Amino acid sequence: MKKRFWIRLGALLSIVLLLSACNFSGSEATDSSESANDEEEKVLRLSLENDIPDLNQVKTTDGISFDVLNNVMEGLYRLDEDNNPQPAMAESVDITEDKLTYTFHLREGIKWSNGEEVTANDFKYSWLRAMHPDTAGSYSFILSDYIKGGEAFANGEASEDEVAIEVKDEKTLIVEVNEPTPYFLGLTAFVTYFPLNKDFVEEKDDQFALDHESILYNGPFVLTEYDQAEGVVMEKNDEYWDKENVNVDEVSLKIIKEQSTALNLYEAGDLDRVTLSSADVNAYKDSEEFGTETQFTSWYIQFNLGKEPFDNLNIRKAFQLAYDPQILTETVLNNGSESAYSLIAPDMHGLENQSFRELNGPIIEPNAEKAKEYLDKGLKEIGGSLPEIEILTADDTVAKDAATFVQSQIKENLGVDIQIATKPYSGRLDAMREDDYQFAISKWGADFNDAITYLDLWVGDPVSAFRGSYHNPEYTDLVYQAKEEKDEGRRLEMLMDAEKIMLKDDAVLGPLYYEGSAFLQKGNIDNLVTHPYGARLELKYVEIN
Amino acid sequence: MKKFILVRLVNIVITLFIIATATFFLMKMLPGSPFDEEKLVDLTDEARMEFYARYGLDEPLYVQYLKYMGNLVQGDLGLSYYYKDQPVNSLIMGRIGPSALLGFQAVVLGLSIGIILGMIAAFRHNTIWDYFTMIVAVLGVSIPNFVLAAILQFYVGLQWGLFPVAYWESYESSILPTISLAVTVIALIARFTRNEMLEVLQQDYITTAHAKGLGDLTVLIKHAIRNALIPVITILGPVFVSLLTGSLVIENIFGIPGIGSLFVDSIKMNDYTTIMGLTLFYSSFFILTVLVVDILYGIIDPRIRVHGKG
Repeated sequence: MKKRFWIRLGALLSIVLLLSACNFSGSEATDSSESANDEEEKVLRLSLENDIPDLNQVKTTDGISFDVLNNVMEGLYRLDEDNNPQPAMAESVDITEDKLTYTFHLREGIKWSNGEEVTANDFKYSWLRAMHPDTAGSYSFILSDYIKGGEAFANGEASEDEVAIEVKDEKTLIVEVNEPTPYFLGLTAFVTYFPLNKDFVEEKDDQFALDHESILYNGPFVLTEYDQAEGVVMEKNDEYWDKENVNVDEVSLKIIKEQSTALNLYEAGDLDRVTLSSADVNAYKDSEEFGTETQFTSWYIQFNLGKEPFDNLNIRKAFQLAYDPQILTETVLNNGSESAYSLIAPDMHGLENQSFRELNGPIIEPNAEKAKEYLDKGLKEIGGSLPEIEILTADDTVAKDAATFVQSQIKENLGVDIQIATKPYSGRLDAMREDDYQFAISKWGADFNDAITYLDLWVGDPVSAFRGSYHNPEYTDLVYQAKEEKDEGRRLEMLMDAEKIMLKDDAVLGPLYYEGSAFLQKGNIDNLVTHPYGARLELKYVEIN
Repeated sequence: MKKFILVRLVNIVITLFIIATATFFLMKMLPGSPFDEEKLVDLTDEARMEFYARYGLDEPLYVQYLKYMGNLVQGDLGLSYYYKDQPVNSLIMGRIGPSALLGFQAVVLGLSIGIILGMIAAFRHNTIWDYFTMIVAVLGVSIPNFVLAAILQFYVGLQWGLFPVAYWESYESSILPTISLAVTVIALIARFTRNEMLEVLQQDYITTAHAKGLGDLTVLIKHAIRNALIPVITILGPVFVSLLTGSLVIENIFGIPGIGSLFVDSIKMNDYTTIMGLTLFYSSFFILTVLVVDILYGIIDPRIRVHGKG
């Protein structure tokens, strides 16, 4: 009896040993190839802050998957260093006078990584797949909102023949859009617009995009290793049409969730770029390797116009003017974020060489005295006293810091006590959706490079509780008119007016900051571009000296 | 003995069933859904329900529960929501290697060093050895392992360059995380071993053994250790638990693609199926550990052998 048990125990232990040993040698083998050719090859080593959830381009929705896909795939257009769309898979485009029909001419010699030609059919197949109710993800709107017939198709109410995507021949793709869309070319650079090879996707079926061999590439790089929890290794794509202009031979994107670990790796020379947490910014501020960048992500206070006391305009204005975002970005966040005095992020496309922000200027000017006046006016209107006020926020550090900042500024400048209601991220979304908040710390990240990506959100009669139940016919009309306007100058006028109406006249939001980040980057790396929206990481132009 | 194990196995199944049920309903009480993204909030309620319907999330809770349990019985943990449409089974299997290796190394290292330290302390009771060991033990228990991990990473990894700072690339990558995890184990085991040894060494039969003229070493090995180790085995259960929870943080710090970090993420993302899968995985692991400990107990201490058979 005794003996048998010892034998069994021994067997159990050896199985455990064997198991772990197996697994380890596996990962060892894959990585040993990496260090071999460092001298001749130009290798870029970056990190990702979280796992890679899904590389199925028609379904995926998160920034990390976008970052990977943007460099191994390519759409009709690709964003350049200044975020302007440049011909990529397409060589040129003809746009009709009414700006509703786009005829894309595909480039000669564009190939998938298996050597097959990329054709107009590949785009049609992928776009329909991205909109079809059975295969679509939550980004299908970025196609169906624009392409004629797309919405009905996405709702399962129309057949694919009714979607205005026409393959004239292998090299010509004709697309009709619902309304004049000046940023449509930029959209074709977005992940959901990338092509797919039908035969390949059908062959892989439900195994598609689960490992590096079950994806077909047409971008500057191909994946040679892909592990959701470890990261990816990319190599230059030999079949890429513009490979002469790709300077880097290999890129590794390893998942490191702890910022302090990433910083240690950077210091040890194992990473070429690292994002800094605000605690580390001061220590590295004067380094030559230090830099900051902002994204098209605006953080703001969303007032709920359907709830006391923010159903009163003057109270909203009082709260809107009572804090100074500069204090927030400089002393609280200190992470490269920029203080906001309006909604549309700086550098967002405007007219010709001027950005929207430059044209429309700052809209809200914080002023504690004026705020106090508005408060007194408002108090008279609502009968003398404020109800209990709570600001809703998600429970991550940054959002909580912003809420605490607002709380202290309101106390200091208005003498009003407010409480902070903290919820998990999805709890905040739920509460706002269900109209269960007075005002909240919220944000929006742009999907494309045009002010309408923001302004469209508050259009409704009234708009959802999540957007504060706002309704102003003047605002709604302006945005609708802008959507149909063919003259770019007039269109921008309307959007600029709309921004002013919503922020200044109606005080629906209180601007806080434009999200930014601070980073360190090794001096021999040039042209590592991060776009401020959509798929951010752009490795095609990187040069290593 | 066979009957004992059989009964325990039935108990395990019942326990797991209760855990699965409780986790399922608790998890559904979390606010939000796996699809809570800023991008989806502007959908109409109708469109959202349609979206949920695709994943069966629109059905009444009890239907969802019955379906889940039905699949579970067949060993199918379902598809992940966050890692779109990937089977949770393969997610867990793909991540278990590094965690298992770390856990195993930490236990082996922790047990061997802990027992040796504990015995030295007991034998050299009230000497500098004893004090030293106990200081190590107190520090080991009180310093959180993630602090130790950060310190090791910074000094041993970055400053002295002895081991990799992070990543999971070669065997060296596992050293620092193993040490970080093992220190708590060493501390726990050392203290227990010392106390038990001290008690055993005062027993009459030890005096008898000495009186018979046996040497120190013989007394130690033949009479003392075996009795002193019984209580040590009882704390193996808690030790495993501390390793599991420790690994949640340690894996993130060292950038190790294990199941600990998967667990943390899945809760953040409301990834229902992955939360369920990992909870069940962790609980079965823990329950089985307890079972093994109980069996070992019987082997080492004949007095505890079940039902007087043996």
